[in-house]
Amino acid sequence: MKKQYTLFAILLVVSMLLAACGAPAEKAADCKSEEVFCVGLVTDVGKIDDKSFNQSAWEGVKLAEKDLAATVQYIETTDAKDYDKNIATFGDAGYDVVVTVGFALGEATSKAAAAYPETSFIGVDQFLEAAAPNQAGLNFPEDQAGFLVGALAAQMSASKKIGGVFATDAVPPVWRFGEGYRAGIAYIDPALEVNIVYHNDVGFDKTFVDPEWGATTANSMVDKGVDVIFAGGGKTGNGAVIAAAQKGIYAIGVDTDQYYTIPEAQKMLLSSAMKLITPGVFDLVKAAKEGTMTSGNNFGSAGYAPFHDLDSKVPAEVKAKMEEIAKGLLDGSIKTNVAPVKP
Amino acid sequence: MSNSENNERWKSALKAVKDAILVPTLAIITAVIVGGLVIAVVGGDPFAAYAGLFQGAFGSVKAISETGVWATPYIFAGLAVALAFKGGLFNIGGEGQLALGATTSALVGYGLPLWLGYEPPMYIHLTLALGAGALVGFIWGAIPGALKAYTGAHEVINTIMMNYIALNVVSFLMNGPMKDHNPLNVIARTPLIAEGARIAPIFSGLRIHWGFGLALLAAFIVWWLLWKTTLGFEIRTVGANPDAAKYAGINVKKIMTLTMGLSGMLAGLAGSIEVTGLNYRHELGFSSGYGFDAIAIALLGKNHPVGVVLAAILFAAMRNGATRMQFLTQIPVDIISVIQALILLFVAADSIVRYIYRIKQSGEKVVLTRGWGG
Amino acid sequence: MDWKRFSFIAFIIAILFGTVVLVGYTSEPWILIVGSMMATTIAVATPLTLGALSGVFCERSGVVNIGIEGMMLASAFFGWLGSIYMNTIFGFGAMPSLLVGVLIAILTGGLFALLHAALSITYKVDQIIGGTVINILAVGITGFLNRQLFFDKNSIFQGNVPHAPGVLPVIVIPVKQGIEWICSLTGGTEGCYVTANAFGKVFEQKPIAIFAVIFVFVANYVIFNTRWGLRMRAVGEHPKAADTVGINVIRTRYLNVVIGGFFAGLAGAYFTLESVPSFEPLMTNGRGFISLAAMIFGNWTPIGAWAASLVFGASQALQINLQFFRTSIPPEWSFFQNSYAVGQIPYILTMIILTGIIGKTSAPAADGQPYEK
Repeated sequence: MKKQYTLFAILLVVSMLLAACGAPAEKAADCKSEEVFCVGLVTDVGKIDDKSFNQSAWEGVKLAEKDLAATVQYIETTDAKDYDKNIATFGDAGYDVVVTVGFALGEATSKAAAAYPETSFIGVDQFLEAAAPNQAGLNFPEDQAGFLVGALAAQMSASKKIGGVFATDAVPPVWRFGEGYRAGIAYIDPALEVNIVYHNDVGFDKTFVDPEWGATTANSMVDKGVDVIFAGGGKTGNGAVIAAAQKGIYAIGVDTDQYYTIPEAQKMLLSSAMKLITPGVFDLVKAAKEGTMTSGNNFGSAGYAPFHDLDSKVPAEVKAKMEEIAKGLLDGSIKTNVAPVKP
Repeated sequence: MSNSENNERWKSALKAVKDAILVPTLAIITAVIVGGLVIAVVGGDPFAAYAGLFQGAFGSVKAISETGVWATPYIFAGLAVALAFKGGLFNIGGEGQLALGATTSALVGYGLPLWLGYEPPMYIHLTLALGAGALVGFIWGAIPGALKAYTGAHEVINTIMMNYIALNVVSFLMNGPMKDHNPLNVIARTPLIAEGARIAPIFSGLRIHWGFGLALLAAFIVWWLLWKTTLGFEIRTVGANPDAAKYAGINVKKIMTLTMGLSGMLAGLAGSIEVTGLNYRHELGFSSGYGFDAIAIALLGKNHPVGVVLAAILFAAMRNGATRMQFLTQIPVDIISVIQALILLFVAADSIVRYIYRIKQSGEKVVLTRGWGG
Repeated sequence: MDWKRFSFIAFIIAILFGTVVLVGYTSEPWILIVGSMMATTIAVATPLTLGALSGVFCERSGVVNIGIEGMMLASAFFGWLGSIYMNTIFGFGAMPSLLVGVLIAILTGGLFALLHAALSITYKVDQIIGGTVINILAVGITGFLNRQLFFDKNSIFQGNVPHAPGVLPVIVIPVKQGIEWICSLTGGTEGCYVTANAFGKVFEQKPIAIFAVIFVFVANYVIFNTRWGLRMRAVGEHPKAADTVGINVIRTRYLNVVIGGFFAGLAGAYFTLESVPSFEPLMTNGRGFISLAAMIFGNWTPIGAWAASLVFGASQALQINLQFFRTSIPPEWSFFQNSYAVGQIPYILTMIILTGIIGKTSAPAADGQPYEK
């Protein structure tokens, strides 16, 4: 009796090993051919469905699947030491374009760009000092987007108390959103009371995935009379947006037009500070396909989202002022004076 | 010695090996089958998934090298937990000890040349970098050990608390005093460590480094320490029965502190080796959960250094192969955690496995830890 | 009652609150600061309190439970999933969906607790390892299913995260109106109305937060004043003696561990059905471990555990509030405004408590030991 079970188990293992050895890697094979256009994406140590920058970048790649008939694939990184390996997985499979997401992958991407000259590399949030000819960095002026919604919040606040809830100041894009926001508020009225809170008190990995903290912090701001909250930083920020909307105060989202990603907050979502990763990634992928990708640093656009449901609540002069500021930021007559990195 | 006596000895040795290997192996097989069912239930192809996993872990020289890269810290961390278990203590604080060890080694690695004004010779620099990481790990482990020995405070809670404290301290250092001040750097990481503080790769072109050799050496030393020295005997006696150890004249409090210290040291070295052998800097990142994986590794390896090495390689293969699995089948890497939890479940509750495969219970049950009261 | 421990806890909370008042009183009336600190403290403490109650029930009956974290995470996921299924697929209204979600969360907690009970009572697996199994299993299952069900194009929701039915509504306990009424009786100074406003906020809480506090007192009564509680404690302290007087040790332990699981399940529901209407992998963020610490901090009593949870809550409220008033903090003290420094307080306090300097912490005698006849 006992022997039979053991035998059965051994047979199973053997059959699995056989299956393992015999399995063809079909997907890897066709990317090497000229006709097939393949785009791969490697996340930083985060999930592909983070509703934040990994996901936005992936949506850009998926657009390429639809519009450019590309074969697309992603790999999620679970540990920083796998960056090289994960990028190489695409390189070895003959992918035409590899998108890497996040500053932390910068060095690994540069190394891979040298090792796989046939592949184009696009690094989101990677500011490059020196770039290989097949390497492009995609950066965004988050401080300007923050500045714009800061100006908006300052004009819309009745209580003259404004709040900001952010994941961590240790990640530069988040910090630039936050400090741009502060600068934008001060641009309208330096006397306004500004409460900005960064979630630094837990491990670095937790700061972006703590919606409960975001909600608690937002509630606690509302208790203090704050009537506009801008929240940034993954799901932590989403928690704050939802809590603010539920308390019936203006909420401002981040990264994409969160009117579509946080339906729970639609009624009170004033706007979103947008960092247009999806079109930015798509444009670069398209350029890479056509052979027109400019190597080195590329800049995507940032701005503020439409007011949607609250359009009627925003006075015409505020709208005019916002357009004026947006123009000023674009032509450089208004400066946010936010350093690229927290000093 | 007569022939039949010799035969008997061989038989009993074989039986011991069979007992040690049979249940864990069946536990792994069962977990893999159940994991496959989970994949199938949600509509994936378990055979393709496991094929991808196997390819990614052992399919090429590069893949095997990467499995070795993953196994290196796992062996150290697994040994840390196993050593503590042998002493009747549960070190759940590997995560914090590892982070502090890594940070300290990075500090010595890049800071020592700056402080001295010249680059010290490699054998000194590397030794100091590893030694400093080991020392800090030792201290971070010895504190809960001493608290347990002298006040009765349970080490599980204290190591968990000290995990949080360590992670906060490391976050603070990486964002402030130890942050790489290169103007192009924007994230929380240290500067690169000096060449002299790096462990060389074993083969050029592959990432596997001599740290793997150090890990095997550490496994040997732990075995030697536990079974060939008086200290090891004392650790095992305290682990088996602290009251008896006391009557036998063993300084139980000292041994407890030392056991946790040594355990912390091994965990600290897991971090140090990652910094000096692979990453050449410490970077604040998402924790891969070495602390919990190490517990599973120690249990699967039955707290024996050889078992720990084998279990660590298995876990490393799963973590490493997961990338290829996801690449080929898009099955999320989280399935690896499910399989690991199942392995742990079947190893811990070996009566389930024994029931499934109709294996008789043999030998004594090993007591690993006790309740809070201790 | 353990007055030494309670006065210590009260002292710590007073210091945490006092610090914020000291920093912020120039820019805001102190009573408002205290009111908002209290509201935040209670909210933050809710999952910790429930988690700690879970621990109390398990451990008072002799089963160590470090799997609270995993139970919370799994319940948060399955409760949320249940509410979405009810709302989106079966077309129920928001409120019934949420209530079903809470129920499913509680049952999920119970189910995982049953697994823990089976492992530790029937199979006599080391209980700490049993808890570790649950923690790892919960992370794997929730992460895997969350991805497979929602992100994948072939999943039931075609890769779109469907509308969650929202979160449980705020229940206003009319304390504000009460104080205002007293104000109007006594002539009504402005300060009186400010007080009404400040404390009114403390009593605007959501249902799980309110139930958590109620359960603390119910549990305390049950454990120390009923037959059930007596049996449970007997089984946790002296299972052999309990057995000889006819208490079914195995059954008592099973029941109490599962009840503990229900509390952990309710704590999980707090995350996805009361706080925010979404699930994120790993969203419990170690709060299960903190609640374990709170339980020990509170010496295995419900009220003590609640008080300890409030310390953790207050220290988080302190961190948030110190950032509000950052401009009022003199630069030479700015280190303490650094959340890395302030964040350590509860962990260090727990370690100090454990050493027994402030009153002896004593676990149930048979805690962690499988019972063999």
